[in-house]
Amino acid sequence: MAQRLSRRAFLEVGVTSLAVAAVPTRVRAQAGAIRLGTLTPLTGSGGNYGPSMLKAMQWVAGEINAAGGVLGRKLELVSEDDQTNPEAGVRAARKLIDLDKVAAIMGTWASAVTTAVAPLCWESKTFLTTVSGSDTITLLPHQGYLVRTQPNTQLQGRKFAEFMVAQGSKRVGILAVQAPFALPTQKIVGEELRKHGAELVAAVVYDKDKTTFRSEIDQVLRARPDMLYLNGYTPDVTIVLKDLYKAGYTGAKIAQAYAVNQKLLNALPPEVTEGTFTIAPSPAIESAAYKRLAQALGNDDLDPYSCQTHDHISLVALAIAHAKGESTGTAIRDHVRKISQGSGAHVESAVEGLKRLAQGKEINFDGASGPCDFNEIGDILDTKFRYEQAEKGKFKLLKIA
Amino acid sequence: MENYLVAMAVFAGLYALLALGLNVVWGMTGMINLGLVGFFGLGAYASALLTRAHRAPIVLGLAAAALVTAAAGAAMALTTARLRGDYLAIITLGFSEVVRLVASNELWLTNGTDGISGIPGPWRGRVTPQTFNVVYLAIVALAVLAVFALCQRIRSSPYGRVLRAIRDDDQVAAVAGKRVIVFKVQAFAVSAAILGLAGALWGHYTSFIAPDVFTPLVTIYVVLALTAGGTGNNVGAVLGAALVIFLMEATRFATGWVGMLKPVQVAALREALIGGALLVVLRVRPRGLLPERLARS
Repeated sequence: MAQRLSRRAFLEVGVTSLAVAAVPTRVRAQAGAIRLGTLTPLTGSGGNYGPSMLKAMQWVAGEINAAGGVLGRKLELVSEDDQTNPEAGVRAARKLIDLDKVAAIMGTWASAVTTAVAPLCWESKTFLTTVSGSDTITLLPHQGYLVRTQPNTQLQGRKFAEFMVAQGSKRVGILAVQAPFALPTQKIVGEELRKHGAELVAAVVYDKDKTTFRSEIDQVLRARPDMLYLNGYTPDVTIVLKDLYKAGYTGAKIAQAYAVNQKLLNALPPEVTEGTFTIAPSPAIESAAYKRLAQALGNDDLDPYSCQTHDHISLVALAIAHAKGESTGTAIRDHVRKISQGSGAHVESAVEGLKRLAQGKEINFDGASGPCDFNEIGDILDTKFRYEQAEKGKFKLLKIA
Repeated sequence: MENYLVAMAVFAGLYALLALGLNVVWGMTGMINLGLVGFFGLGAYASALLTRAHRAPIVLGLAAAALVTAAAGAAMALTTARLRGDYLAIITLGFSEVVRLVASNELWLTNGTDGISGIPGPWRGRVTPQTFNVVYLAIVALAVLAVFALCQRIRSSPYGRVLRAIRDDDQVAAVAGKRVIVFKVQAFAVSAAILGLAGALWGHYTSFIAPDVFTPLVTIYVVLALTAGGTGNNVGAVLGAALVIFLMEATRFATGWVGMLKPVQVAALREALIGGALLVVLRVRPRGLLPERLARS
């Protein structure tokens, strides 16, 4: 029995398809404008960060345009929402690449979204800049069409190991939550400690949903560590700290700043948290770029991601200028390292960099997030880290370096 | 522009497959499956692992995806034989979460939350991305046509009539001498196989899968697609899927129409518009755009 379309149903189908045809192609920008795409999480679990990341990019674009654009051409931002979901991110990226024909997509946040979008970018020769931290991203066969400004596990692990050694630790134990970063971090910290004559004496991975970690703690303490690295999230690290106190552990403790935060210090008695060190990647808060951006966004305490996207669009604009105005993903790929690192004059803003480039000088851009120097697979070589210590239930800043 | 439309047509086709798969079990047999994204994911992983790690041809991957998910669907129907309505909905929802958690934690098999990248696609890399897009659209269109024909055949056959009888009152069907459980298991297996095929096709198209892809959001979109198109009606399933993709994409251009809006507001407005449009559809046509019409014999 065949289905017959009723007249009304036919009308509805017809109207729908007409509406598809009527979607206006985007109003063409003034001839010669350089179109760049932003793909940040405006909704979903990254929705806390995306709007500010976008604002940072819009501010830079506004500054560049007010100063006359890139070699006289205005920047035009096309902004899409990745919904913190790879499936939605892929559709949004297709629109940016195929319809808007952007030279670069900037600001992807979740690692899964970045990994999903990256193949579309390198296949269609569109440049991708990201703040995702997963180690595997830069190992993709991206042919250079990708850079990221977020330090990966390697860099973070190295910083932790160096700091622990600097505190005089010889025997380090790790208590880590079951997460993608647990084993890679353990490996890199162990290697780095050995380089400095210290030792990783015990490493235990635990399930985050347990209500007590006494047996795991006993297991680690049996190796008599003088420093414990608590590589978990806030809820489980809270319990670990309590159990460590009860177990009478008096050695040093160190954790990620996102795990041991002010909320945790407020929730626990000061004697439980006393002396705990925290480390977090930090924006370059002393830099002129950071100060200008903080003022523009009206926020003294910028999140690292907004600082990084500020640098993304600056790098892209400068790379296009260095390529004599060739606004393609390939040109950005070939020129981004020529303006981000090297012996050129140190600049901290895109506008200033464009001016120098116009005078025929070479530049080395350092941004609000850090030096923005990349290795051959697109990882940053170095970034600033913020070192703090809990003291009577408050954080004391040790250094930013 | 053309490339973008082609890509969206591919996604619409994949959603159509999902809606058709859901229709078999929900629309025709009356068993709710809120875990369809679990089967979608299972199919995607089955094919990706086989074609990537074991270098099997893609066709074999697709077949394996359908087989694995059919087996999973049959197992699920057997274990939930006595459950219906809300209870079945909760179990199936739980199943999809289990699939996601296993994919996140069994690193040796699934590479965990990092996902699997570099899944091969037909002629990917050997032709331009544009050509690949068009080729893939043809493949997906073919799959939709084949599945659609199969579903229509089921629907109009005496077999489909038994499924509808079970949907409307399974005790009556049992009294009439039909072995209800067998039909339920078969319907669940066929439905799951279609969902798994859609998942495999998704993986080979985008070349990357991760546990994050297979979130309940996709289930919601597909349930909405089928409800808006017309539960029980295969044409409605395809139409509803196209409508959902159209709404999701058309709302992007709200900036052009409304002006003055910031991207953050547009993002929020988009979700509101999609929900609102579907509400209107269901208010004006409670049984979907193309309600199921039964043959009188």
